[in-house]
Amino acid sequence: MIGCLDVDVGFRCADRCLLFAEPLKKKKRIDPAILKQREERKKKRLEKQIRRLERNAKQLKPIDELEVPLELVDGKKERMREAAVITPAVEEERALLTKDWTRYKRKQHLKDMQMIDRLMFAQQKALDELRQESEELYQAAIQINPTLLPFTVRGPVKTPPIKGYDSPDGEYTDVSKKCVVNNHWTGVVNPCLQVYESNCTEEQNM
Amino acid sequence: MNLAQRSIRLCLYSTSAQVSRTKWDLMSAVCLERKPVLSGELNEIERKFSRMLADIELENSHKSDHEVRYETETLQAELLKSKSLDLDIEQTLQQTAQDFEDAAVDEYNKFVFESRITEADKANDLQNLERKLDRHLLLLVQQKQWDQKIWALPQGLQKDGETMLQTAERVLREKCGDDLTVQFYGNAPCGVYKYKYPKMFVSREEEGPVGAKVFFFKAQYIAGYVDHNKLKLQEFKWLGREELMSSLSQEYYRNISQFLIDEE
Repeated sequence: MIGCLDVDVGFRCADRCLLFAEPLKKKKRIDPAILKQREERKKKRLEKQIRRLERNAKQLKPIDELEVPLELVDGKKERMREAAVITPAVEEERALLTKDWTRYKRKQHLKDMQMIDRLMFAQQKALDELRQESEELYQAAIQINPTLLPFTVRGPVKTPPIKGYDSPDGEYTDVSKKCVVNNHWTGVVNPCLQVYESNCTEEQNM
Repeated sequence: MNLAQRSIRLCLYSTSAQVSRTKWDLMSAVCLERKPVLSGELNEIERKFSRMLADIELENSHKSDHEVRYETETLQAELLKSKSLDLDIEQTLQQTAQDFEDAAVDEYNKFVFESRITEADKANDLQNLERKLDRHLLLLVQQKQWDQKIWALPQGLQKDGETMLQTAERVLREKCGDDLTVQFYGNAPCGVYKYKYPKMFVSREEEGPVGAKVFFFKAQYIAGYVDHNKLKLQEFKWLGREELMSSLSQEYYRNISQFLIDEE
């Protein structure tokens, strides 16, 4: 009840305030010629930006790795290997070997799964035993340790390292192309679109 | 009344039993492993399959620069022979593809790889970490238990205010010195070994602990050596999986092998 009453009073106040307000201001008139000019200027500015974008759009950093070198495309024919003769016997042998392989990998996978089950069971048992002794220690044990990751290990390798072996450096040629970022107008339009100068200078230390 | 019913009833009705329940000593042990340094040898089927994959790879491939060069050179040589053209001096001075191949093979054959079997393998030095490079090695130390010496993973009692992992870290430092750099695998124990103390060593009072629960924490060996001085009269050895059985008691071995990762 009280709520309704309050709302009612509020409305009445609002009504009265509206009636007491000063008359609305007349809207300022602008010369249509000026308006048109303004619009034109806006349009021009946009067009200029678009033109600049289009001009620069073709100058993205080239990715050489994605293109097949021309000499390979040209010499494809002479690089073709004469098709090896695969006798039915070899084909049969390969098929059988592949089947053997899948069986072998399946067995290996099953064994792995069983091992993981065993490890998890052992850990769960340890945690249960710990909980029986002390809730506090249990809580400390199940905390995640964020410092463990990332964890890097190296190896294993085929042969052990030779002790005291001084590895020869070899000849080092830096063939990476250097591209200069041309960003004199970055921030005007799209900052993500970094444009590189089209003539990438190829530097090679010979 | 069967056993299950009795135990349920015991839980339901015995409030005092909870207080005076059996007390266990808490211990942490470190399962410190040196991971394989070398990859294992391929077995029969793996070798066959990898050879087949290499064959297929070769059949589907295109010729390399070296092969193309080799072929053009042999063709030229044949032409020279048949037509007995004048030898171009510049060309003969060049290193041919065959020469290059021979030189590469020669260099490869001259290079001596380190042997997969080390001195430690030959001497069967159990304290040396360079033994059995393609296998896991587990650290065992000799510890005094009651009146006898036994081989076990380094273990110690938990002190108040320590988590189990902190105990494990302290135990390893105390037993093996500060020189050892290891990486523990996490806060949770990977296994437990529960055993009761022999009757003659347990105090007659009811309050005393009846046995110990040993919680194992896995760690990976990174660098360093076990400190000989720290161990005093104790001994240590690094053992492979198949050697563990003979050094450990059967019950202990059964528990340990529950959480060890299999080898092939």
